[in-house]
Amino acid sequence: MGLVLALAACDNTITSSEALPPLQVASLDSNAGSWRMIVLSGPTQFTVATPAAETSAAYAAELAAIKAAQSKLTTAQRRVIDYWAGGGVLRWNQIVRELVARFSLPPAPRPDGTYPVPDPENPFADPQFPFANPPYAARAYSYVAVAQYEALKTAWYWKYQYNRRSPARIDSGIRALMPVGDLPAYPSEDAVLSGVTVEMLKVLFPAAVAEITQRAAEQRNAALWSGRAAASDIAAGLALGKAVAAALVARAGADGMKNAVGNATQWKALADSAVARGEIPWVSQESPPRPPMLPNFGQVQAWLMTPTEVVTERPPAPPSTSSVQMQQEVSEVRRTVEHLTREQLAIAYKWNDGAGTYTPPGHWNDIAAEYVRDARMSEVRAARAFALLNMAMHDAAVGCWGVKFAYFNPRPVQLDPGIATVIGLPNFPAYPSGHSTFSAAAARVLSYLFPQSALDFDAMKDEASISRLYGGIHYRSDIERGKEHGAVIGGYAVRLAQVDGAN
Amino acid sequence: MRSAECARSIFLRCEPIGGKVTRGSTVRPFLLVAVFAAPLRAQTIDDGMLLPRRVLGTGLFYAHDGWNRYWEGGVRRENGNIGTVTTQSVTWVMGYGVTDRLSVMTTGPYVWTHGSQGPLHGMSGLQDVTLAAKYQLVATPFTDRGTLRAMVVGAAGIPASNYVPDFLPLSIGLASRRFSGRFTLDFRAHEGWYLTGSTAYTWRTKVTLDRPAYYTNGQLYLSNEVAMPAVFDYTVSAGYQHGPLSIPVSLSQQRALGGGDIRRQDMPFVSNRMDWVKIEGLVLYRGVRLGVSRILSGRNVGQATTLTSGVFYAFHL
Repeated sequence: MGLVLALAACDNTITSSEALPPLQVASLDSNAGSWRMIVLSGPTQFTVATPAAETSAAYAAELAAIKAAQSKLTTAQRRVIDYWAGGGVLRWNQIVRELVARFSLPPAPRPDGTYPVPDPENPFADPQFPFANPPYAARAYSYVAVAQYEALKTAWYWKYQYNRRSPARIDSGIRALMPVGDLPAYPSEDAVLSGVTVEMLKVLFPAAVAEITQRAAEQRNAALWSGRAAASDIAAGLALGKAVAAALVARAGADGMKNAVGNATQWKALADSAVARGEIPWVSQESPPRPPMLPNFGQVQAWLMTPTEVVTERPPAPPSTSSVQMQQEVSEVRRTVEHLTREQLAIAYKWNDGAGTYTPPGHWNDIAAEYVRDARMSEVRAARAFALLNMAMHDAAVGCWGVKFAYFNPRPVQLDPGIATVIGLPNFPAYPSGHSTFSAAAARVLSYLFPQSALDFDAMKDEASISRLYGGIHYRSDIERGKEHGAVIGGYAVRLAQVDGAN
Repeated sequence: MRSAECARSIFLRCEPIGGKVTRGSTVRPFLLVAVFAAPLRAQTIDDGMLLPRRVLGTGLFYAHDGWNRYWEGGVRRENGNIGTVTTQSVTWVMGYGVTDRLSVMTTGPYVWTHGSQGPLHGMSGLQDVTLAAKYQLVATPFTDRGTLRAMVVGAAGIPASNYVPDFLPLSIGLASRRFSGRFTLDFRAHEGWYLTGSTAYTWRTKVTLDRPAYYTNGQLYLSNEVAMPAVFDYTVSAGYQHGPLSIPVSLSQQRALGGGDIRRQDMPFVSNRMDWVKIEGLVLYRGVRLGVSRILSGRNVGQATTLTSGVFYAFHL
């Protein structure tokens, strides 16, 4: 027995739950160039120049360079190839989740009790930019996903205009070290992804620019060394990716995020407005008190909904803080927290995704990734999946935050100071629950993409939502209205997908 | 063993265990007997003493641990969102002298935690049960001033309940299984003073969380399993014993051999690199033990002051 225990102590290896085997796509999705665009006017908004012929001398030189590179690959280079063989969209999704987790800690207070605000123009200062809280993270995931999606659809269009084959297909002396199918190679989808993603991430996570550019370069190298793409495939792809990114970066600069933090006058006005309505206003429970998180995020431009729709789809007002219903809901929170089972506690922690993590939208990306991987989606179809999912969650954040700050209602612990929480208390109003909204929107989209698992997504959505009651930080109304709201928002993504030509 | 347990659970408190029966003293059934404690963590498992053959000892110990400053990585700070973190524990200890050179010992603590500020819920429960075997390699007259003894201890600890490790600093433990080996050298002069040195290495198994991913040490891990760094500790102490009274003072250090730092504004995590230097003073009189210790410096731990007390009884079977 002691020996068994001792041996058990020796195994300290951690197995990732998201291992990515080399991606062998189920379908080339050759018509992806005709799928409906989100932001671009069409696949010809950006042009890709005609490539040199497969028989040209210039191209022959490129093939020779690949052979030379393949003849002296180091172990490190092979690891880079194996890493990116798992799929570019999936790998970047893992990387963005890591960046969010790295930057999702709030600024520390100054000695005088005030809080500094991260400055995008000075990202390496203290505090670093950004503070990747859930709305910021939802926005980041969505910009990366949409940019990749638009760029890949464009790439697919031009690939099938030129139909230039992969080096490993053209020259038998070049080995395919990553799966190389019949997808035309020019422009290189790996290079497109590297270009579009690096430009988006430089704006979203500027303090990580060194790591981001290195990863992007590795992706292009992997495409080259593996025989999948020649240097000109890569150059064209990189240029296309960057061009598409510029369009998305321009949108990001004007989407209202700049004003999301608000100022002291606005924060005070929110509290005064709640009091004027006869309600108890939200008050920060942090020490020292911290301004509410992104009170103007509800005015950021949604992907799928017009500003009018964002407002009309909102759930009704929460129960008044002086109502009997509110008293009952507060009591329910208190009773729940005081009688938590170990299983309920586990659920609270499973879905918490608080400060220092990849946040709730990241958790749903984590869930989606395994389904995308197992479906062996092509890069453009995978990009579509993540774009639909993350646009829905971004708009869920916009919708939810709009309601939170319209009503500015207090957390349970404010109405009953005896309620102790088993997870951290978020620093913003309660109604409705962000987790519930994100989860319902995500479950709606994933159930459309993977209908066989719709019941599983439904169960996850319910568990993620109720976890907030177990945590002691939300009322029942926050959860129920949040789930309804999220499902409605997810519906916008599903309706878009049903007619986008990818079915 | 207690030390390793104590080590990793510096955010929480590990209760010290009581003293031991003196060698060669006459023991009658159901009588409280004099106990000596060895240095520092002066817990029965870690001190340099054995129970005589066929003597059964048992005791109950209470500890109170509190801190309001802690090290976030290497930066010491307070945090108004948690205030002062208090950990209390009651530990039951039992030991048995198998032979005059071999003793076995087991301890089981019940722990409860509390933060004085902020909305976070304290936690409580049965923490980790430890089983240890102590073997005296040698006990020999040394110079003519006293006796030199060398001892080895092997211990294994396992969580005794399914508590949550992922809510530091309010979790009651780290939920890892531990295996440690300790070597102790002790010199006891005829006049009553003594010197002890001790060192131990502790292996720790993976911890399973309730969540599917976590970020630590610069990386996002897409897994619910956390690899725990091994821990190394050493202690030196000096004491004076006169009759049934013994007063040791000790200095000890723990170093984790891996693990990440707590990031700015983040909560602590199970696999953090928890290092500390601690000073402790004990008063042992017959079966009663009183102690106070203070963390002098550390990394990813609270700057805790700990008060310990306990009673220990021995019976001859």
